[in-house]
Amino acid sequence: MPAEGNVFGMTQHTGYFAGIDIGSTMTKAVIMDEGIISSVIGPTGPEQRTLAHHTMERALDLAGIPFKSIAYLVATGYGRINVPFADKQITEISCHARGVLSFFPHARTIIDIGGQDSKAISINNGKPVDFIMNDKCAAGCGRFLEVIADSLGLGLEEMDEISLKSANPARISNMCTVFAEQEVIAKLAGGIPVHDLAAGIYRSLAERIVNMARRIKIASDLVITGGGAKMKALTKAISDGLNLPVSSPAEPLLTGAVGAAMLGRDIMDKALKEGSMPETKERSLVQIVVS
Amino acid sequence: MAEQQVQEKRESRRKATKSAALIGPMVKASTLACQRAKEEGKKLAYTFINCVYDEIVRAMDIVPVWVENYAGVCGAKRDAERFLSRAESLGFSRSLCTYALCGLGFDQWREELGQMPPNAPWGGMQKPDFMLSSGQILCDPRDKWFEASRQFMPEIPVYNVDLPWPLYEDDVEVAEVEGYYVKYIAGELRGLIRFLEEQTQKKMNYDRLSELVDLTERTWTLVWETYELRRAIPTPMDTGDAMNTMVPLAFMMGTQEGYNFFLELNKELKERIEKKEGIIPDEKYRLIWGGGLPSWFALGDFNYFNSKGAVFPVETTYRLIEPMYHLNLPDIHDPVERIAYRFFRLWTYWYDKARKRPGSEPDVERLINYIEDYKIDGVVMHEAFSCRTWHLGLIWQLNQLQKIYKPIPILRLGADGAKKAEMKELPSLILESDIIDISSYSEVETHNQIDAFIETLESTKRQR
Repeated sequence: MPAEGNVFGMTQHTGYFAGIDIGSTMTKAVIMDEGIISSVIGPTGPEQRTLAHHTMERALDLAGIPFKSIAYLVATGYGRINVPFADKQITEISCHARGVLSFFPHARTIIDIGGQDSKAISINNGKPVDFIMNDKCAAGCGRFLEVIADSLGLGLEEMDEISLKSANPARISNMCTVFAEQEVIAKLAGGIPVHDLAAGIYRSLAERIVNMARRIKIASDLVITGGGAKMKALTKAISDGLNLPVSSPAEPLLTGAVGAAMLGRDIMDKALKEGSMPETKERSLVQIVVS
Repeated sequence: MAEQQVQEKRESRRKATKSAALIGPMVKASTLACQRAKEEGKKLAYTFINCVYDEIVRAMDIVPVWVENYAGVCGAKRDAERFLSRAESLGFSRSLCTYALCGLGFDQWREELGQMPPNAPWGGMQKPDFMLSSGQILCDPRDKWFEASRQFMPEIPVYNVDLPWPLYEDDVEVAEVEGYYVKYIAGELRGLIRFLEEQTQKKMNYDRLSELVDLTERTWTLVWETYELRRAIPTPMDTGDAMNTMVPLAFMMGTQEGYNFFLELNKELKERIEKKEGIIPDEKYRLIWGGGLPSWFALGDFNYFNSKGAVFPVETTYRLIEPMYHLNLPDIHDPVERIAYRFFRLWTYWYDKARKRPGSEPDVERLINYIEDYKIDGVVMHEAFSCRTWHLGLIWQLNQLQKIYKPIPILRLGADGAKKAEMKELPSLILESDIIDISSYSEVETHNQIDAFIETLESTKRQR
């Protein structure tokens, strides 16, 4: 079931902005005025255009507003081109940066750990100035954890909890997800406790992410977002690896969508200041439904 | 499955210049010319680019078979996988230079069949009479590739030319060691001439060699002056086209056809500048291709950059020339010695300039000069996983650049003597893939990275 609700509490409706983030694993949407008034989080399926439509429809229902009252709508994420009703498409680098800065104005580095990729973003003067992505290999992202949790017979949250009991994390040396899975199975058969294996997996993933992130200039304050930020063991391992404290938003999956909505508001504000109105699409969801 | 030819209909990269559009047919014609030469009984040699034996080979009427070029053709036609897979099945690692792997897979297949592999791109790569390798700092496959090829062609001799140059040291004047290096390189080239004379049973015609050396020197100067026209705003040609025009630069040196090509390109660029005809209507961001060989199967990505308002007026890749008035060669008549001087002075050209900037190095110095001369807003590099030579230095070069182009305001002294605050920040993007191994490439992910980079450029520009 998709998670939904007023994650950050309701505020006055003075003008609405929407952000939709179609990631490789999860789709997220928010509707905002001065704060978030509704949000939807659900899995990304194969038919992204239909999904975009349903996700936005659900977010509007939760907010209790009609689509035509959205002043500006920005789509982001890998599937952003599949949101035909979006007024603008912006990459997740800019959207994550904007979203994170709205929660943590002093953030200088962002690490986003998604389902199929991970990325690090360097911020200066409130703008993204450099970034690096690992999108070549599952070994640096959430999919790696899913595969390993599956072979340990655990859910993701369960694996996270169990790993925190470990005082002696196992050393997982394989970089490839498939080989790492084989290694975990072999070590399990060899009597290594599950909590040590789980802790070893988080440490291994954290090392890969840290090595990637080091290619850009890492500075505190460091914020971790994406599904990976929900894993306490992973954020701790990254914090240890970089020797820096880390922060995460209350709902780390939403930062891209929040950033998208806020960039939409920035675009509108800038246009209004210049005495113009940005181009927007017709506010109709019915037309784009793919049966 | 591995040896199936992949048929894929794709749109070719759009070329901005008419000259660049001529390159495809030129490469095809040159591949077919090798086939004709073979039939006519001429001697064929496997050759590498940037080995300065071009004029020697051509003066002796030997037909060069550019092995890297053929691998690039296979890559550009997205038909390299079957040759790479074959090499892999022979035990060669996929992490080796994929040009070499492609060539080895091709050679083995051709030798096994006794004819060209089925549907070989543009008729296939002809079997050579000898192979000319080169021990160079540039890359190790230059002396290992042909050794490995002899497994399939044991009767074909290999001649290795050692072409060293001194590594940069900020407290060593290269002029002090130049004489030694030039003598050594000239000696190596003379050894090559003796080998070729034995193989062809012909004597070198030194008058002809002198003519070809002179032609090459004029071509270098012409290429440099032509490429410098790209400083214009809007730029009349970008790196996308330069990845085509590298063909006459790298594979046709010492030929009148190569010289004439650049004469025409020079004329075309001047006309475009006169008409203020850029490669895109609205040039927003000027980028440098700061290193790395391109993904030959994805040259269309240059068009993708263009569609976002970004152009590449300059690149370091394949621009391995300097005009003769930069190199200031001594007045000598021995063509072999002249080649040796040209080689040495090209590779050490940036050394003196680097020494004047504390912390700089020749490769970084060259980037800084291009960034300033061409008014560059950002750097793009390509780490091809199988190209160790390029891969190793790129991150380091970017790190050095970041020490100069910092995201903080600096005070600059203007021509009027007044100081003004200026941001010298230079965003960078490193693309990761390969030269011809398409399995390392994802168009969606690459375009996503380019989109994010363009947004970074825009936000940096707004902050200036």
